[in-house]
Amino acid sequence: MKLKVKIIIITVLLSVQYSCNEWMELIPPSELIREEFWKTKEDVNAVLMGAYQSFASLDGSLFRYGEIRADMITYDNNLGNDERDVMEGNIYADNYMCNWSSFYRVINYANEIIKNAPLVQEIDNTYSDYELQSVMAEAYFIRGLAYFYLVRIFKDVPFALEPAESDDAEFYLPKTDGDEILQYIIDELKQNRIYATTDGYATLEEVKGRATKAAYDALIADIALWLFDYETCIEYVEKIQQNPEYTLMPSTKWFEIYYPGNSLEGIYEFQFDANLNQSNSLYGMTNRYSYSYDPSAKALEKFAFDYSSKELYRGEDASIKKYGEDDYIIWKYVGRIADGNTVRTSSETGSCNWIVYRYADVLLMKAEALSQLERYNEARQILDLIRDRADVGSSEIANTKRSFEDAILEERCLEFAFEGKRWFDLLRMGRRNNYERKADLIEIIVEKVPSTQKRILASKLTNPLGWYMPIAENELESNNALVQNPYYKF
Amino acid sequence: MKNIKKTIILILALFSFIQAFPQDKTIIRGRVVDKADKSAIIGANIIEYDSEERVVSGTVTDVNGNFVYTMVNPENIVKVRVIGYNEQTIEIDPASAIVIELTSSDVEIAEVTVTAEAQTGNRLTNIDERDKASSSVKIDLVEMHDAGIVSAADALQGRVTGLDIISASGDPGSGSQLVIRGLSGMGNSQPLIVIDGIPQMRVNRNELDISSANMEDISELINIALQDIKSIEVLKDAASTAVYGSRGADGVLLIETHKGRMGKVQFDYTYKYSLNYQPPPIPLLTGDEYIMLQLEEWHNSQGVFDVPSEIAYDRDYADFYNYSANTDWLGALTQNGMTHDHFFKVSGGGDKTRYYTSFSYVDEGGTTLNTGANRFSTRINLDYHLSNKLMFSIQFNYNRNKIQRNPGVWTSYGAVYPRRAAFTKAPNMSIWEYDENGNPTGEYFTPINSYQGSGATFFNPVAVATLGKHDEVYNSLQNTFILRYRINDWLTFNETVSLQYQGQKSKDFLPYNAMGTDWLDWVVNKAEEVNGINYSINTESQLLFTVPIRNESHYLAGSAAWITRQTASESINIQSNKTPSVNIQDPAIDAQVNYIGSWSGESRDLGGFVSFNYKFKDRYLIQASARADANSSFGINNRWGLFPGVSIGWRFSEESWLDSWDFLGESKATFSWGIAGRQPGSSYARFATYGSSGNYIEGAAVTPSSIQLSNLKWESVVSYNLALELNMFKDRFYLKAETYFKTTYDLLFNRYSIPSSSGFSSLGYFNGGELENKGWELMLDYQLIKKDNFSLSLNFNTSHNVNAFKDLPDNFVTERDVSIGNGQYPKRVVEGEPIGSFFGFKYLGVWPSDQDVKATDADGHILVDGEGKPIPFSYMGVYNFKGGDAIYEDVNHDGKIDLNDVVYIGDSNPDFMGGFGANLRYKNWDFSCAFYYRTGFDIVNMVALDTEGMDNRDNQSKAVLSRWRVQGQDEPGMLPRAYMNHPCNNLGSDRYVEAGDYLRLNNVKLGYRLSRTLCNKLGIRNAAFALSARKLLTFTNYSGQDPEVGQNASDPFWIGQDNANTPPPKIVTFTLSFGF
Repeated sequence: MKLKVKIIIITVLLSVQYSCNEWMELIPPSELIREEFWKTKEDVNAVLMGAYQSFASLDGSLFRYGEIRADMITYDNNLGNDERDVMEGNIYADNYMCNWSSFYRVINYANEIIKNAPLVQEIDNTYSDYELQSVMAEAYFIRGLAYFYLVRIFKDVPFALEPAESDDAEFYLPKTDGDEILQYIIDELKQNRIYATTDGYATLEEVKGRATKAAYDALIADIALWLFDYETCIEYVEKIQQNPEYTLMPSTKWFEIYYPGNSLEGIYEFQFDANLNQSNSLYGMTNRYSYSYDPSAKALEKFAFDYSSKELYRGEDASIKKYGEDDYIIWKYVGRIADGNTVRTSSETGSCNWIVYRYADVLLMKAEALSQLERYNEARQILDLIRDRADVGSSEIANTKRSFEDAILEERCLEFAFEGKRWFDLLRMGRRNNYERKADLIEIIVEKVPSTQKRILASKLTNPLGWYMPIAENELESNNALVQNPYYKF
Repeated sequence: MKNIKKTIILILALFSFIQAFPQDKTIIRGRVVDKADKSAIIGANIIEYDSEERVVSGTVTDVNGNFVYTMVNPENIVKVRVIGYNEQTIEIDPASAIVIELTSSDVEIAEVTVTAEAQTGNRLTNIDERDKASSSVKIDLVEMHDAGIVSAADALQGRVTGLDIISASGDPGSGSQLVIRGLSGMGNSQPLIVIDGIPQMRVNRNELDISSANMEDISELINIALQDIKSIEVLKDAASTAVYGSRGADGVLLIETHKGRMGKVQFDYTYKYSLNYQPPPIPLLTGDEYIMLQLEEWHNSQGVFDVPSEIAYDRDYADFYNYSANTDWLGALTQNGMTHDHFFKVSGGGDKTRYYTSFSYVDEGGTTLNTGANRFSTRINLDYHLSNKLMFSIQFNYNRNKIQRNPGVWTSYGAVYPRRAAFTKAPNMSIWEYDENGNPTGEYFTPINSYQGSGATFFNPVAVATLGKHDEVYNSLQNTFILRYRINDWLTFNETVSLQYQGQKSKDFLPYNAMGTDWLDWVVNKAEEVNGINYSINTESQLLFTVPIRNESHYLAGSAAWITRQTASESINIQSNKTPSVNIQDPAIDAQVNYIGSWSGESRDLGGFVSFNYKFKDRYLIQASARADANSSFGINNRWGLFPGVSIGWRFSEESWLDSWDFLGESKATFSWGIAGRQPGSSYARFATYGSSGNYIEGAAVTPSSIQLSNLKWESVVSYNLALELNMFKDRFYLKAETYFKTTYDLLFNRYSIPSSSGFSSLGYFNGGELENKGWELMLDYQLIKKDNFSLSLNFNTSHNVNAFKDLPDNFVTERDVSIGNGQYPKRVVEGEPIGSFFGFKYLGVWPSDQDVKATDADGHILVDGEGKPIPFSYMGVYNFKGGDAIYEDVNHDGKIDLNDVVYIGDSNPDFMGGFGANLRYKNWDFSCAFYYRTGFDIVNMVALDTEGMDNRDNQSKAVLSRWRVQGQDEPGMLPRAYMNHPCNNLGSDRYVEAGDYLRLNNVKLGYRLSRTLCNKLGIRNAAFALSARKLLTFTNYSGQDPEVGQNASDPFWIGQDNANTPPPKIVTFTLSFGF
């Protein structure tokens, strides 16, 4: 009897022991885990869409980083303190705009694809080399574009090329020199350009909203221009020019660039469609009742009828719109037609795309590069092309680098108002030829600063590091390897 | 007629027969003597059993060993039982006096005690309590029931060395924070609570109360009726907690409830009535004083200014009557609460069955308007002996806890509760709204915009407390089945299966008429409901053995057990906005549903456990145990953890060479070592997960949502304990001294921040660093007088703990919140220093005038610039100090107050804590008191920081009446000037760091017990009355409302702050109890 009991107990214990490892393995009930993921090409595509989607959701940030410190917008009552502080040059590391995490989230998604897509191909027999390479090319493009923004905003940043898959990953990255990053990125893009599709997409939205060869060319040209590598810039813009898919929109259809968007001019646009529950942030930031961002006095001077603007196609009722006495708003993301009257219907309020590159943009990049190489006539031709389209007549520009630089900057300011380009254009001007024209940039920055602080800030900003954002406080608090931008160290 | 008479006679006859029957009763009489020496045995039980072995009645022998007993039914059996003798059945012979000779049973009794003790509380080991060589303290609660205590935590506070208990808040239904021997982990350290051997689920209130930011568990301790508890044992060192393996790292509280006892059915009833009231609050400014202050703030900062009409005393202003009140907001929110506590129990049993049943109902009124709690609980403990080999018991417990609180209002500062809002609300505003003629409108005064700002942030706290609601209901059920089989004399098998279930529900609603907002505003008419259930199944198969060695010098016992546990929980949460009416408070009804979420999860544990207990000559003790635990939170590589414990003891009082020390009672010295572990809270944290993130164009998007944790492992706590226990002077003097050393390795951090350049902001869990706690404890008990009618005993205990970060994880940044500003304390962690150190500026008073402001070097010389001009003394180079501003010490003498001038200014960890008390009994009266103290720690008085800054539109405390007003004013203790939006007058400095030392009269009680004779006359078993008070007196220099501030170890940067929770109320209780 006793023996029997003992045997039974021992058997029970042993069998429990045997099956326990299986019993202990609990899988999350409502989420996908890595062990079940990265099995098919559909998985890869889904992460790629995730990367695009989260990059697109940065449209509000791209607007802020490209405009806030420049001279085309000003604040209204509802704008938060952090944005106002940046506008007034009053930037501290606890400002939320110093947070770069959303860019790195996109970069990490791209890194995941770059690492895992080739592994998936080993499992998924239906995954052709062609499909793999084009997805990889898109991931390189997304990563490159994200780093390009980061370097322009923060200068030197951590350079992660591996995904953070597990806690074994190296998280504590120091800063890498911005130019070094861009050099790496531009080389990588040049190498992978051949894999980017030209006609592989079924819909117009995909052609404009995903990385194509033309998008590659635009990005390479833009980075090259930033690095003052004018030949490369011209070379890649010419590749776009040779592409029959892209052309300037006619004057009367200029506003179709924004509504309905995806025009013949668009090269790369983050796609939004409120009907698919993909709404942009721009409508909320710029509509009449948001009281956040208004066109600045300078913008009114250029566009508003009251200021005798010469802009017919790009001026009031197209770029901006007047309500009541003095209430101007930005119209590009709100309007439906360039009549200053027809607003987007409620189902389309958030559907306006964020245009990263369009044909006019790359043409003006080329003009800038040409003029810096003293090829003034070619540059003038491009400039006149854009001006004719806007019906503002050709320009009289002296054959000097300086006057071309000013004219092109002015033209870009009019053509790409409120498109998140202005600050980076100004920064490029300020950096050129070893900060030759930094005083001009500083003058623009301090314009919005309260009069009492103008002089102090202007003298502080002679240090070009002050043109970049500081590293966020939380980021410094979680990474010992980072060193704050010295401008912000006190 | 005759027939009727006949019938009556017949009936009477029948009755007389029935009445006559008892006259034929069996009376037995006799004498009980010891068989050996024929001496009379006093107090032997003569017990009558029915055929089912249930106790029917009984009596006891008198001083001569004689008894007389009238049997209820002559068919029944009568037995004689007395401790120390073998039981004997009496052969009933009513005719003659029976002489019963009992044989003594001294040897077996000791053995019985061993197994019986092993079954109580800490059932997993097979160790006699007397032989325990690890560190634990047992508190007997039977004695304390009449004191004014409401919860078990109350009973323990100040009684157990090394146990720090802080009430989270004085609101009804709030839990307490319990920390044993210092903070040992980065989680919310709370000891494991084990009731009758069953580890209890831990339900985190935070899951339920999304709007609340406070770290507060619903303590299992309040889920059990105090009167049900027989004793609480606190296990402190790892040698004893290793038994509970992975869950015992924060210490273990073993709670034992009452069991049925053999004997007649006993009914007991206790009623307590308590009055709860709050200590006086910090005096705040009246409306008039407030307006004066505001005008001065504006004047100092702006010079000439437009006086806002709210503070302009303008009789033509439409809201004049609404802004010229003198409202005591805090007073209006405070009330006296009443508590009714009913407790009823039935217990009894025979040889085979013993039962204990209790019901309790407590209705507790809060001291803040519209707060309260009520609890119903019932418990059944049933033991059934099928044979002398097989026994089973069933424990059943149900309770329902309903807690009513004030809702929090979401503002840009997070959730703000009415009590907190009352501290800063403008006192010139009235509670009720008046029209322009000064007639009340009957509505609460809730302007959309007031002088202070938006009505959604600066709300009317009385209106929110009265009209808003936040109700929580907890229903919990526990059912335990235990089977015990004695295989043979030395081997016993136990099987325990226990099921616990808890359902929680919380409901929130804030109607628009409570708030100054548009009635479609997001914060109002927002209904929220959270429902959750948790359940767990525990099983435990255990083999206990006692090796029968005939040689008396050796004793070997032990146990082996196999333990499984699985828990699961799920919850659903729904939130709606803009319900169409303030009376529609259900989120599921026709509203704009804002959020619906659900969550579910599971976790599993397995454990194998062995222990040995060896004793040589009853003097040398050695106990060893090891538990291997597997937990589902870990991957296969780190799943199993081994938790060993060894303790050795030396009962030196048994040594023959100490025989000459007559005064020495049973005394021993012990040493123990052990490892306990801690696992992460979630089973799923280790997985890299991917979640859907909408779509782009028409492609579905999936993105990674968490990082895989391949290095996740057990956090382990290694502890050493050395103890000396002395009993002297016939057990009248007891001393226990202990010292310990405890190190936590591989500290488990939850949501550990990582650089966002990785694409993620945090790791689910991260192991790293070392935390050390060391200290000593002393406990004394002295029975000064011990007589039949008069006894007096004193007790005292104290403990000291020092904690320090020995090692921080690599890459850990030791500074936080370095962007200094008003109200901010920069935070630092220093390797080798305790958690909870304050850093800030040194506050040196107030500059009397503009001319006095000078920047000086270390020798007091004025600092000059290159041109020889004095450099202005400034705050970060942006503001130059003026007369009336605060003086901060310029530590590095650079003429600038900035981050470099931040120094160490205090520490939130107490140096000493403990308690002392006295118990006095004189005839039928008894008196007891218990004090609790905590000394040597500092508190950041956040309430003072908020109410003495004078730089915004908040109401301030009366302390600001002595502020700087004119140039040259220089008075001791004067506060800086009032200045709207001053950049630096209210920096985080030692100005608000105060010593928190306090001594508190925790419990005091005066009781009277009715004499036995009087009870007999009244036909009851006993009756008692008591008057008691809780937290009646507090001796402290702390200027805030209450110095009892909890510890929060979930954040290494934690500092102790007084954030104006409801302070624990003072409670006066009248108790009435009787049994029959």
